[in-house]
Amino acid sequence: MSWFLPGLLLCVIAQAVLLGPLSLMEIRPDLFLLLVILVSRRSSPEAATILGFLIGLCQDALSGAPLGLHAFTDSLMGFVVARLSRHLYTDKPFALLWFLLGGSAAASGIRLALLTFFLGPPPLLPALLWVIIPEALYTAAVGLLILSLPQIRAALTRTV
Amino acid sequence: MTALLRMLGRYRRAIVLASALLLSFLLMTLQVRHDTAVVTFTRQALLLVVSPFIKITAATIHGVTSTWQDYVDLRTLREENKRLQLEVSTLKRRLDQLQEQALETQRLQRLLAMRDSSQAEFLTARVVGKDATNWFKTILLDRGSMEGVRRNQPALAPNGLVGRVVEVTPASARVQLLTDPVSAVGGLIQRTRVTGIVSGNLGAGARVRYLPLMADVAVGDEVVTSGMGGLFPKGIPIGRIATVERKSGALFQEATLTPGVDLSRLEEVLILKGLEVREGFESGTGRRQ
Repeated sequence: MSWFLPGLLLCVIAQAVLLGPLSLMEIRPDLFLLLVILVSRRSSPEAATILGFLIGLCQDALSGAPLGLHAFTDSLMGFVVARLSRHLYTDKPFALLWFLLGGSAAASGIRLALLTFFLGPPPLLPALLWVIIPEALYTAAVGLLILSLPQIRAALTRTV
Repeated sequence: MTALLRMLGRYRRAIVLASALLLSFLLMTLQVRHDTAVVTFTRQALLLVVSPFIKITAATIHGVTSTWQDYVDLRTLREENKRLQLEVSTLKRRLDQLQEQALETQRLQRLLAMRDSSQAEFLTARVVGKDATNWFKTILLDRGSMEGVRRNQPALAPNGLVGRVVEVTPASARVQLLTDPVSAVGGLIQRTRVTGIVSGNLGAGARVRYLPLMADVAVGDEVVTSGMGGLFPKGIPIGRIATVERKSGALFQEATLTPGVDLSRLEEVLILKGLEVREGFESGTGRRQ
């Protein structure tokens, strides 16, 4: 796990600075969630939970979110992904896409519930239309690209 | 004792997960309800660690991009017109630089004009980062408490209000934009002097809430800060009314507002210093207070 800290730093820089020009309708992919998924696929559930907590805490510090919001969802996501990764055939692109879409939407849903609990109910329809759905689609697309890189590289090698 | 250790070992996954979730929940509760020193310290420490990397990245991106572009351009040049192409490239780069400088000068002149027209003290700051989530709308500035930035100071742009400072470290500050879902600013319809509260929206733009039901509010009306609440001085332009909604049975009418400032393309802002600010309804939900 020597690449965890450099990966986290890269996420921080990309999410705060580099992804600005790539945002669609003010929405950027959730790279921190993708990092949680990447880390959790190769870790034990305990380690994935702790790493998810640290990643989420870092994301909270870099945003206007209450400290603990993303730590909560990311530690939960880390645990679930680490538990499920052995039972899911996530090397198939279509299954991977659904897995990422579902994961991102579920994480957003939990965040919405927590925000409702702590800050009062935000309008549900704008939250769905302007944050949850576009973020899930964008995150899933970018995640699919990142997670498929080994297969793409292998296919290219075979072609060459 | 052995039995306890065996049980801990057996349920370690559930214990780790429950501890992480409980700790997260506790942190959120502490911040939202009380905002303790532990939470403030944790936020500022994490921000302090990562903000130099963000600042350096933001400062070098422009240089790296132009250098990479130059490299790609040079690679595609034909040998026979290499010298000419290089000259054109140099001239283009110079022109780009001059155009960029002209645009920057224009922006800074507008900021300067705004500063000169006011008695208050201003500090110019560059935007070096955006919010790391899609749920909140905040920006990171390259100035901090060492330059005199304090929490709750208003941030402005030539076309109007940007937001307020919510978090300060020695070398950086975070500004909550007026479109942040938990932001609240006292607004005044300039034409009819009707007051309301401008708050953020999860979509684009902002909303003006708590407008009296019979008040005269029309599309295109200019909205400025009301000065009530004590955070923002009166009369700073906020934006224009885009749509007006009067729901049957509602106690108030609402309106959507298009901010005067394009908050997605901010490069520099002015921090309004030297104002005695106090907490009020404009401070939003109370978190980070």
